[in-house]
Amino acid sequence: MDAGFLMGLLINGLVIGVIYALVAIGLSLIFGVLEIVNFAHGEFYMLGAIAAYFLVANAGFGYWPAVLVVTLVAVCLGYVLFEALLGGLRGESFERSILLTLGLSMVLQNGAVFLFTTTPKMMTTPLSYATLTLGDLRISVVRLYALGLGLAAFALLYVVLYRTRIGKAMRGVAQNRNAALMVGIDPHVVARLAVAIGIGLSGLAGAALAPVYAVHPLMGFAFVFKAFAIIIIGGLGNVSGAALAALALGVLETLIGGFLPLVMVDALAFGAMILVLLVKPHGLFGRGVRV
Amino acid sequence: MSAAPLLEVRGLTKRYLGLTALDSLSYSVEPGAVVGIIGPNGSGKSTNVDCISGFQGADAGHWFLDGVELTGLPAHRIAQTGLVRSFQNVQAYDEMTLLENLCVARQEIDGIGWWATLARSARLREGEAAAEARGRELLALVGLAEYAQAPAAILSYGQRKLLAIAACLMARPKLIILDEPVAGVNPTMIRHIAQVIRKLNAEGIALIIIEHNVDFVMSLCRRVIVIEAGRKIADASPAVVRADPRVLAAYLGRAGAAEAQGAHG
Amino acid sequence: MRAAGVTVAGVTVAGVTVAGALRFLLPAGACAVLLLLPRLTANEYLFALGVSFATFSVLAGGLNLVYGYTGLLSFAQVGFFGIGAYAAALLVTEQQWPFLAAVAAGGAIATVAGLLIGYSSLRLSRHAFAIVTLSFALLCMIVARDWVSLTRGAMGIPGLPAPVLNLPAGLSWRIASPADFHWLMTIFAIAANALIYLVMTSRLGRAMRAIRQNEALARSQGINPLAYRLLALGLSALLAGLAGGLFVFYLTIVDPSVFDFYYTETMLIMVIIGGAGSFWGVLVSTAVLTVVPDLLRFSTDLRMVLYGVILIIVMLVFPGGIGGWLRKRGVARWRSVRVAKS
Repeated sequence: MDAGFLMGLLINGLVIGVIYALVAIGLSLIFGVLEIVNFAHGEFYMLGAIAAYFLVANAGFGYWPAVLVVTLVAVCLGYVLFEALLGGLRGESFERSILLTLGLSMVLQNGAVFLFTTTPKMMTTPLSYATLTLGDLRISVVRLYALGLGLAAFALLYVVLYRTRIGKAMRGVAQNRNAALMVGIDPHVVARLAVAIGIGLSGLAGAALAPVYAVHPLMGFAFVFKAFAIIIIGGLGNVSGAALAALALGVLETLIGGFLPLVMVDALAFGAMILVLLVKPHGLFGRGVRV
Repeated sequence: MSAAPLLEVRGLTKRYLGLTALDSLSYSVEPGAVVGIIGPNGSGKSTNVDCISGFQGADAGHWFLDGVELTGLPAHRIAQTGLVRSFQNVQAYDEMTLLENLCVARQEIDGIGWWATLARSARLREGEAAAEARGRELLALVGLAEYAQAPAAILSYGQRKLLAIAACLMARPKLIILDEPVAGVNPTMIRHIAQVIRKLNAEGIALIIIEHNVDFVMSLCRRVIVIEAGRKIADASPAVVRADPRVLAAYLGRAGAAEAQGAHG
Repeated sequence: MRAAGVTVAGVTVAGVTVAGALRFLLPAGACAVLLLLPRLTANEYLFALGVSFATFSVLAGGLNLVYGYTGLLSFAQVGFFGIGAYAAALLVTEQQWPFLAAVAAGGAIATVAGLLIGYSSLRLSRHAFAIVTLSFALLCMIVARDWVSLTRGAMGIPGLPAPVLNLPAGLSWRIASPADFHWLMTIFAIAANALIYLVMTSRLGRAMRAIRQNEALARSQGINPLAYRLLALGLSALLAGLAGGLFVFYLTIVDPSVFDFYYTETMLIMVIIGGAGSFWGVLVSTAVLTVVPDLLRFSTDLRMVLYGVILIIVMLVFPGGIGGWLRKRGVARWRSVRVAKS
């Protein structure tokens, strides 16, 4: 077993982990602030990928501009989504919110299947075949870019959540809604931003990773269940917990996939989730919001 | 009185993250007694109820109903042994009719198992008929008979409190704990509820009344327990408690108590 | 239990009210029509619809019990359906079990799975519970697809033999034609729904409704929420497992698509539109949603888009479905009575 192979796996694992983290953080943020489990979250990841594909393949965009445009559109979409659908819901009408977002997921997913068919499409940019060679290591440049984008998004998110007023307000609402309301934080504004950020991150993840894997309308569906498992493992509502769990899962999945037959890599996330629920029901890193 | 106590609570202790809500609280209630529990806000009155009825876990202490230990039992098992409670924020099944509300309150108590229930056995049919009859009786007692088939959602606040008391009775309780039965209720309704409580007690049911309305408690209860900061500071007849300087201090603060004492003396 | 608030103007004929007679005649008539269908027509398309309706009526009915009565939003139904399907198929093809025994075993295994899932996740929050049941269903699909030595993987087990039932009086019934399967599924669905109805209208159903409406109050009255929730989950798992075992022999193949999310989405829509907690409402909406989409010849994807839109609109405007809307009207009527009196 050579070090290059291992390092390669590790880097790939990190890339996957970062992407998982982007999606899971968005999901966790939305849950923490609105107490809504967004079933449609994966569809925005899918839409991000499909949009990026079309921008590159049909409109001649480059990779970076495509990602930027898609992310901005996703943020706006999140804003619209909140105002149109989610704003009126509250935490107690829990089943309503699940079923509403499930309905949204059905519309987006099946609509995409109807419009684009289930044939996977490969996005090819000039970058697609470029690799970086560092000694024993050969890494695809696209994956590195995705990793970089993800880390940049983390950094930006950190700044927003910890250094801006509204970000702190968001964390406050996620930790203790009633207390936050009492000190005069406007839940509507905070929630709207949380949804916009969450959807934006999802779209970014999809666009960033579009050149790496095939793009097809059902990709979000497979993804979102893992995101659920991740936020349970990290602790419902615990944003940093979700990020850590996501990174760990990405790395573990890739390492296991590299050495053992691929049989049940997918089941790893759910197995871990069940284990965590049996042993530590509030998640590995404890609660952001009461579970 | 040397009658064996109906309810005995020993050393009940409950802590929340460094705050001691109940500090080794001990008291007892004889069969057929009407005991009031009063105390300033946050003194632990409701925590006490939650613990002994199984809705919150206690950190230490034991409690017994009729000699049977209830410590650590889940809420539904405690209810089945005859210790029944009402809730501060009045609870009812809004989508069910008043009569259904009452029948539900009895169904786990009359000892008819699932198979008999599913098979609609004769025992079940008798049990349901008996429950319905008793339900109508109780609705008449509290003055809600005309709404027997109405959904509970339409009741006014005071009427919901009456329904809750009736529901407590359905469960053939030995002891009923009423958590703030007259909070937020108009004076006419208060008198009505007091009347109902006296009728219940006349049938031999023991009652614990947790209340802020001190006059209400003093007029109904033969014995009053005062709790402050999780500890029992008085346990005597209403007249004695009213004059107790520690009680006055708990409610009015040191200066206010001295003033009140001066006014009396 | 009262019906969902519909009162026919109380016309009485010889001691039997119109409403009361209708409540018995309509379902009895519908059952008769369904059972007699193969005698009335040879249209195989109708038999296919009949099988579909029967199967979904059991799936949606079980979900109605779990969600509408006990208040648990569970996505695990399809998992039990598929487990029953695979178990029955494997027992018949690999162990040469007789058909009914294999189906029964499939139901039993599904029930055990349901109780395990329930027991381990009911103490979690409602959010976590929903996610866990969802993950369970997905995990079933992954296992079916990847554990090839057990389930033959993505190819599944094709060529399931036509079941043969040994009836009393020395007769045997070979179930091969669509009409035969229509009979089989309809008889099963009638029995299953009767059982569901029996539970719903009994004290057990009342306890479940109490738990859903106000769990704390129910506990203070001696009702054990865990026991009733497990009852609902276990029963729905049993019925879904039996349905799965029967259904795959109609398909003559069992493969991972038996765990498809499509089943979950469809049964959810049926329950939501009919009104969670309304036995007849769900049955009617199941019938409508089985027949109408086929009539409209929508492509499956567009049908799902439509369902999604319906779900969104219903959740935004009247989350209680038709049953809930009727109930609210009943409440409003009584409120005006009470206000008039005070």
